[in-house]
Amino acid sequence: MMKHSILIVDDEQDIRDVLNISLSDLGYHVLTAESGEKALEIIDQFNPAIVLTDIKMPGMSGIDLLKAIKRRASDTEVIMITGHGDMELAIQSLKLNATDFITKPINDDILDISLKKVEEKIAMRRQIQQYTQNLEKLVEDQAARLIEIERIQVVDQLVHGMTSTIKHIANQDNQGITFLNDFPWFVSIHSPNLKILAVNQPYKEKLGNTIGKNSGDIYKNIEKSSESPIAQTFLKGQSVQGKYLIHDKNGHSMPIMVYTLPVRNSSNTITLALEISVNVIERERLAQELKHSQKKYQKLFDDVPCYIAVLNRSFQITNANKRFIKDFGYQEGDHCYRVFKHRQAQCTECPVANTFKDGKSYHTETVVTANDNKQYHVLIRTAPIRNTDGDIIEVMEMATDITQIRELQDHLSSLGLLIGSVSHSIKGLLTGLDGGMYLISSGIERQTFDRVKEGWTIVQLLVGRIQKMVQDILFYAKERELKWESVDVIEFANELATMMRTEASKHGISLSCKFHESIGTFTIDRGVVHSALVNIFENAIDACLADKNKPDHHIRFNVLIEKDTIVFDIQDNGIGMDQETKEKIFTLFFSSKGHRGTGLGMFISNKIIQQHGGTIQVTSEPNHGTRFIINIPIIIKHIPE
Amino acid sequence: MAKKVLIIDDDPIIIKYLTTLFHDNGYETLVANDGLEGMTVLKSEKPDLITLDLEMPEEWGPRFYRKMAKESELKDIPVIVISGLSGSQYSIKKAVATIKKPFDKEELLKIVKQTIGE
Repeated sequence: MMKHSILIVDDEQDIRDVLNISLSDLGYHVLTAESGEKALEIIDQFNPAIVLTDIKMPGMSGIDLLKAIKRRASDTEVIMITGHGDMELAIQSLKLNATDFITKPINDDILDISLKKVEEKIAMRRQIQQYTQNLEKLVEDQAARLIEIERIQVVDQLVHGMTSTIKHIANQDNQGITFLNDFPWFVSIHSPNLKILAVNQPYKEKLGNTIGKNSGDIYKNIEKSSESPIAQTFLKGQSVQGKYLIHDKNGHSMPIMVYTLPVRNSSNTITLALEISVNVIERERLAQELKHSQKKYQKLFDDVPCYIAVLNRSFQITNANKRFIKDFGYQEGDHCYRVFKHRQAQCTECPVANTFKDGKSYHTETVVTANDNKQYHVLIRTAPIRNTDGDIIEVMEMATDITQIRELQDHLSSLGLLIGSVSHSIKGLLTGLDGGMYLISSGIERQTFDRVKEGWTIVQLLVGRIQKMVQDILFYAKERELKWESVDVIEFANELATMMRTEASKHGISLSCKFHESIGTFTIDRGVVHSALVNIFENAIDACLADKNKPDHHIRFNVLIEKDTIVFDIQDNGIGMDQETKEKIFTLFFSSKGHRGTGLGMFISNKIIQQHGGTIQVTSEPNHGTRFIINIPIIIKHIPE
Repeated sequence: MAKKVLIIDDDPIIIKYLTTLFHDNGYETLVANDGLEGMTVLKSEKPDLITLDLEMPEEWGPRFYRKMAKESELKDIPVIVISGLSGSQYSIKKAVATIKKPFDKEELLKIVKQTIGE
C-alpha cells in the first residue's frame, strides 16, 4: 500500500536530504521545503497528510507554521523537530495540536515510532469518519422507511375515513345528504346491488326522489341495467364519465354530463359508488352567461372614453381597446413608447415602469401622436394586473384625451392675456379721451372754437378706436356663426374702396383700384370679410403714416379672379416690415404700433379669412412697402372648425 | 422766465393734451417722440422737468433714464413717469413721481408745481 505523502520542512539542506532518503525508504511520498512560507505553498498545492517541521527556522518559525497549518486543514498531522533544551517549545506545540515531537539528532527508531503514532491517528480518524457516514446513511434509510410506512398508513386512514364518511352520509336516512346540497350538481350514492341509497336536494327537485330505485332507471336509451354508468363503475372498478340522456321527474328529456367514483373499503372491495352529474344545458347556459359577461366587459373595455393598452414587462402592447386600435393601432410586439410617442426607447418618466416596481397606480400628463400625426393631450393612469399568485404580470395604461380641456385652458389664458393687453390699450385711449375733453372744456372756457374743434376730433378718433377694439374683443371672445350670403365681388370691392379712399385721403394717401370686370359672386359672411379687409387697409394706411422717407404715399387695390378663387391684392409703399415682424404679424397680441395696437386686428383678419377657406400671403421689405394678397374661394369647400 | 417741461411720449394725442395743459398753466414745453429724440432735446434745451412715458418704439423710458443719469449735468433734472404699464412705479425708482394713465390732471399739475414751482 502506498503510504501517505509527507512534507519535510527544515532550513538545513543536510537534514532535509537525510530525512528524505530514510522516509522514502519507508515508502512515503516525500516533499521538502526550506522555510515555513514555502511549506505553506506546498501544503496549499499538494495537501500532504503529514508535516515534519523544524521548530527553529529563520523567518516563519515551526510554531507559526503549525498554527497556520491548523488554521487551514485541521486534518494534517504535524510532527515537530526540536533541538535540545527546547522542551518549552515542544510542550507549546503539543498544546497547539501537534501530533508528536522528536528531538535532534534524529533517531530513526524514534522517528519510526512517531510516524506509526501518526499513522494510527489517521487511520482512526478515517474509521470514525466512515462510521459517522454510515450512521447518517442508516438514519436516512430508517427515516425513509418510517415515512413510507406513515404514508401508507395515512392513505389507508384517508380511504377509510372517506369511505366511512360517505357510508355514514348514505346511512343517515336523507339527513346527511343535505351536506351535498351545496353542490350545484346532481349527486347520488349507489350500493353494489345498483340501488340508489341517497340523493342531494337538487337531484330530488329535478329528477325526483329516486331513493331505493334502480341506479339505471333514470337513463334513457339504456337497454340493459348493466350499461348504466354506476353498473359499469362496479363492474370495472373505476370511474366512468360521459354524456347521457336522462328523464327528469316530469318525464322530460335532459342531457347530462356524468362522472362516477367507486368508493372502496380497507380490503379494497367497492362498497359504494358516487354519481355526480350536471345538466349540459345548464352548463352551456352558464358558459353562455360567462361569455356574455365577458362580452359585456369587452364592450366596456372598448367603449370607455379613453385609450386602454395592456403592457407586459418589456413595455410591449399585449392588448388594447378598439379606440386605441382605431387612433393609434399596434402590431404584435410593438412597444408603447413607439406607438404613443414614435420613440425608439423607453420614456424617461414612465408611469408603467413605476407600477411594475411597486404595484401602485401612477398618472402623468403628456402629449401623444396618433396614426394620422394628430397630437392628443392625454392624462395617463396606470393599474397593475396580477396573476392568482399576486405577482404583477402586466400593467394597464388608460389614456384620457384632455386635448379639449387643454385647448380651453389655452383659450382662457389667452383671454387673460387679452385682458392685460386690452386694459393697457384702454388706459392709453382713456388718457387720450381726457386730453380731448380737456381741449373741449378749456376751449369753451376760453371761447376758442379751434381748440374745441381740435378736442372734438380727438374724441371722435378715440371713440372710433374704442369701438373697433370692442368689436375685435367681441369677435375673439365669442365664436359667432357665420352668415353666408352670395355677394357680388365688384360691388363689395367698390364699397370697400370708397370707404378706404375717404380714410386714406384724410392723410394725403392716394388709393388706386383695378378690378377685373364681371367676376361674379362669391359666398361669404359679408360683414366679417369686410372688417377683415378694413383691418388690412388700416394697416396699410398706418404703414404709410409711419414712413417719413417718401414724399408721396399710395395704396394699390387690385381684385381679380384666379380659377375658383377671388384675389384681393392690397399693396402700400409704407414703412415695410422686417422678417420677424412679418412672421409674427398674425400672432395674437402682437403689435408693432405701440399705443395704437391691441394685437388683435391682424389675428382676427387671418382667422376670418381662414374661416372662409382662404389664405393671406404677405410680402414686405423694410422702407419699401408691404403687399397683402388675400385669396378667398368662390365656394367654400369645407368650413374649418 | 417760464419753466420748461420736456414731454417724452410716442402718442401724438397725449403730447397734444400735455402741451396744452402745461401752456395753460404757464409752463413752456418741449416735445420728443421717443427716448433718442428726448436725449437730443434734453442736451440742447436743458429743461427744468421731464415727463416720461415708458413704452415707446425707438428707445423706451428706463433706458433713456439710465443714459440721462450717467451725465452729471443732466442727472438732477426731475423726472415724472407717466405710463399705463402696471408695475410702472418700480421701473424708475429715482423718479419724482410715477403717475398711471389715465391720470388726474390736477394731481399732475400739483406735483409739477411742488417740484419746480409756478
